[in-house]
Amino acid sequence: MNIPKTTLLLALLLLPMISMAAEMGTALKDDNIRAEPYADAKMTGKFTRGDKLEILSKQGAWLKIKTSSNTGWVRLLSVKRGSSTGSGNTKGVLDVASGRAGTGQVVATTGVRGLSEEELKGAKFNEAEVKTLEGYAQSAAQGQQSASSGGLKAIKFASLPEGAAN
Amino acid sequence: MPRSLSLLLISLLVTAIPQAQAFDFDKALKKVEGASGVDAGSTDKKAADSKTTAPATDTKPANSTSLQQTDSTDSRQAFNWKSPSKAEEIQLGREITGNLLGAAPLVKDEALQKYVNQVGRWVASQSKRSDLPWHFGVIESEDLNAFAAPGGYVIITKGLYRKLENEAQLAGVLGHEIGHVEKKHHLKVLQKSQMLNMGAQLLGEKFGKDNQTIDKAIGSGAEVLARGLDKDAEFEADRIGLALATRAGYDPYGLPEVLQILGQVGKNDNSVALLFKTHPSPDDRLAKLGDAVGNRLDNIKDEKTLENRFYKLKN
Repeated sequence: MNIPKTTLLLALLLLPMISMAAEMGTALKDDNIRAEPYADAKMTGKFTRGDKLEILSKQGAWLKIKTSSNTGWVRLLSVKRGSSTGSGNTKGVLDVASGRAGTGQVVATTGVRGLSEEELKGAKFNEAEVKTLEGYAQSAAQGQQSASSGGLKAIKFASLPEGAAN
Repeated sequence: MPRSLSLLLISLLVTAIPQAQAFDFDKALKKVEGASGVDAGSTDKKAADSKTTAPATDTKPANSTSLQQTDSTDSRQAFNWKSPSKAEEIQLGREITGNLLGAAPLVKDEALQKYVNQVGRWVASQSKRSDLPWHFGVIESEDLNAFAAPGGYVIITKGLYRKLENEAQLAGVLGHEIGHVEKKHHLKVLQKSQMLNMGAQLLGEKFGKDNQTIDKAIGSGAEVLARGLDKDAEFEADRIGLALATRAGYDPYGLPEVLQILGQVGKNDNSVALLFKTHPSPDDRLAKLGDAVGNRLDNIKDEKTLENRFYKLKN
């Protein structure tokens, strides 16, 4: 009698948690929070590297976020998605969000040779594999053709100088 | 080899080469040391030759005659470590890649490999070293990693490929590796250690022909790829990777997205042990990339992610 009740209760509790699970994030650097997703939009506040925040939505290169004191838009590259601890526990949430749950997330370590430092040091030259690799080569023209068929167009974009922290 | 001939060879080497080496050695060493940092793309001499944006190797025509010349020079002088030719650079990269493939073979899926080569080649065509014979490959490893070797060899693990969601992300990862090749990051590391070797051998008067072979410089296996580069070289490759993918018409955020994905992997996960040992943390890389990008992407339009045609692994 008690068990189904508990299960039901748990399900009821979990359902909204799953559907409402907001993506969490951490500020990667100090940055301005703006009223709209534009560089010249009005500043509504700031956040500091390490601040915890909630990611509400994304638009182009901007994320709408909520900090303890503020809500607004920041540049995508200023935020690390998921928790900052690197414990790997947030992996599941993100995978569900991106529809990738269950696809190869379990890393099979048995029977697959890894690429540790030792294994790389001990590696022996394999001529046959290099030849195979060379056989897959595509010419610049083939690369261009593939790009065109995907609708890709080369654009001018200057090299990025080493950035100064702002 | 007849004894007299080897004696003759040795005496020739002893009389001729040390002088040549001594003449240039200090300068060469400085050159290489200076070049191991950021943006030291070409050697002093080449930089003086031309102030153009063209890659250093473009100053030599890549026709068969010049290759043959280089080859015949090679057989006499072994490997020109002070300023390797394009052919020598490729030879070195082929050797390292062959060693890497000895540790983990190619995924036997021709469609996958051709797809990665098409994407990679298009991105490489936006680089300053479009002239190289670029090679891309996916290897059988569940590690998350990617490698570059001199002369245009780029390898990505199946484990990392599996994490990718679209072609723009693949372009970003390949772009990062292409950046290492463009800036000759690994080549400079090898040059530096080889110069130090040669210096030590000169001092110890144990200079011999054998010391200049490629094998010795590479070390054992694909060790050079396990050693890693300095942090600035990685940050620089990130900037180049993003810029190349953007130039190629992709969504510029492919590489940052992959860094986000890597940032979600537990630090103690075996699959990222080597990657995290040889690279700054994904967080630091994202932050640096953010600093470099600033508002430079604000006017990028019509960029593509192409998840529809992104090649799905068979297993």
